[in-house]
Amino acid sequence: MSYQHAGGTRRALEGIAGVVCPPEARARGLIADVVDHVALTMSVLPPLFRNGLVMGLRTYDLLAIARYGKPAHRLVPADAEAYFLWWKHGVTPLQRQLAIGVKQLCTLAYYELPAVQEQIGYRPTQWIEQVKRRRLEVYADDIQRHQQSLIAPDPLPGVRRRQLKERA
Amino acid sequence: MVAAIRPALRQDVRPSGVYTRDDLHGDTVLDADVVIVGSGAGGATLAAELAEGGLDVVVLEEGRYYSTRDFTADASAMVRQLYRDGGATMAIGDPPVLYQEGRAVGGSTVVNGGMSWRTPEKILDRWWREAGLDQIRAKEMEPWFERVERRIHVRGQDPDSIGVDNKLLKKGADAKGWKVIPNLRNQVHCAGSNNCAFGCPTGAKQSALVSYIPRALHFGARLYSDVRVSRILRSGKRATGVVGHVVGADGKTTHRITVRAKLSVSACGAIHTPALLTRSGFASPSSQLGRNLSLHPNTKLVAIFDEHVRGWEGVHQAYQVREFQDEGFLFAAVNIPPGILAMTTSHYGSELGELMADYDKMVVAGMLVEDTQYGRVRTINGRPQAFYQLSDFDADKLKRGCALLSELLFAAGAKRILLPFEGAGELRSADDVRKIFDNPIPKRSMEVVTVHMMGTAAMGADRSRAVTDGYGLVHDADGLMVCDASLFPTPIGVNPMETIQALATRAAAHLLDDPRRFP
Repeated sequence: MSYQHAGGTRRALEGIAGVVCPPEARARGLIADVVDHVALTMSVLPPLFRNGLVMGLRTYDLLAIARYGKPAHRLVPADAEAYFLWWKHGVTPLQRQLAIGVKQLCTLAYYELPAVQEQIGYRPTQWIEQVKRRRLEVYADDIQRHQQSLIAPDPLPGVRRRQLKERA
Repeated sequence: MVAAIRPALRQDVRPSGVYTRDDLHGDTVLDADVVIVGSGAGGATLAAELAEGGLDVVVLEEGRYYSTRDFTADASAMVRQLYRDGGATMAIGDPPVLYQEGRAVGGSTVVNGGMSWRTPEKILDRWWREAGLDQIRAKEMEPWFERVERRIHVRGQDPDSIGVDNKLLKKGADAKGWKVIPNLRNQVHCAGSNNCAFGCPTGAKQSALVSYIPRALHFGARLYSDVRVSRILRSGKRATGVVGHVVGADGKTTHRITVRAKLSVSACGAIHTPALLTRSGFASPSSQLGRNLSLHPNTKLVAIFDEHVRGWEGVHQAYQVREFQDEGFLFAAVNIPPGILAMTTSHYGSELGELMADYDKMVVAGMLVEDTQYGRVRTINGRPQAFYQLSDFDADKLKRGCALLSELLFAAGAKRILLPFEGAGELRSADDVRKIFDNPIPKRSMEVVTVHMMGTAAMGADRSRAVTDGYGLVHDADGLMVCDASLFPTPIGVNPMETIQALATRAAAHLLDDPRRFP
């Protein structure tokens, strides 16, 4: 699956990511990484859903011109947040769902970044390697016994009866 | 009937008998005794039993073949690879219910929590009584459950694999004097990597991928991954096989694959089975195809403790709180990786940063509700769309469940709790729990998810009220069977995998017992 943001979509996402991700996202220069990660998630969405999202993002960005005289991605932080909240609590369900959905995509992306996971102390890979090794050391015999049982003959009663009959 | 013996599966190698899109270079026609669409709990079990019984079995799976070594803690990458539509699948309603289905060889068993519970006796009695099903009561199902449990190694956890989050859940239940039991799980010395929902990276969880699929291949079944089945072929009322297309790396379909078979089996889950039957023209005279959708609405609380919990260290759901099972809900501790947790909270900006700074002190506790409302799967332009309206009664149960679970978590020492209701704020003490009931909570503000979709091709003796007979054979069709959670006449109130597998085993025995039943 391949999907890449068009320029306008990317700029709209950068604007929203700056609002919904913690301030460190901008301070540490991670907004571009967040937006790249959002593209990965969007690549597996159903095409209809993804196209709707892209249209919604462009609308989000451009509609700000009517309120602030500039697109959403160019708003100063306070205005950008106020504008995001206006969508989040919007009158139409589509407005609300777009704001919530994009917030979800951006915050998922931010906390999936290795640097951010490291910062909050989330290090599952080392743990997995440790327990995987230990399991194989301590329980090797049981594991092997079970794997052998998976391919051992154990026909259902009807099959057994038929086999006995055929042998007789 | 062919049953070539193949070598056993090694967990890190694509085994003999598994064919992927890389092996299919043109339109393909295959012949078999049985073709099974879907390789999850139902499809894989049926394939293994029928192949051992001497039938030539072909399994078609839309997802990819992954091996144990492909599974990592990179949660979003795993979701993109292992879940249908990246997990962004939703039943329309108030509130919308986000649901997830596995899409990989092994189906949802690759991404489930590995809970293995028999169907409760009261549910089987209800199916016997209300759906008129024979040979379905607990005593009659016993040998099928035993056989499944032997195959997938159903056991309690090794004590040293239980993490702090589950110990806190048990501590809270014990403090309240509530019934809490060790979970039974399909695992061989589960190491406690808490990565079940993203593929078990140790191979300990006995998903169909590492249990029934290798067994089916060993007894000669063939499995084709990356194949999306478009319809069941038919000649009058008789199903004669299936036709589908290979799914390329870009998600687009390429070569056509046709499997001609005496028996065609839909085992692609309660969302896709009704769609496959509908677009193939098998309309049930009962009008029940696609109806009767139940989905065990789930929700979660996030409790923050003073101590380090490190929820990713230790087994997923070591215990279940069963105190309120008769009221229709269960509690368990489930770890959620930070990205997915951040995504599901209503926090944003600096508030989100402050919350997530305490990620390693969080216990995420989930609740499963046995629902009383039924939804529907409609087939629109050939694709399934689920509709489900949470009933007021079940919404009240969710609220009551959240209150009880909050009490438990405060009894375990939680300092604050985030509720799954938009705008409901936090609870800071057990005294705050009554706040849940102080103000009305609109259903649309509730965060409801599920992984248990059931009932959309329900079995029953009466063809005017059910889609299939008691073994999954479709009423008023020949050579057509359903073998997944679509068959459940009602929700079951516990994790459904073992019920699906026991029904599949029972269906295989039914077919093999008497050759006259095989078309």
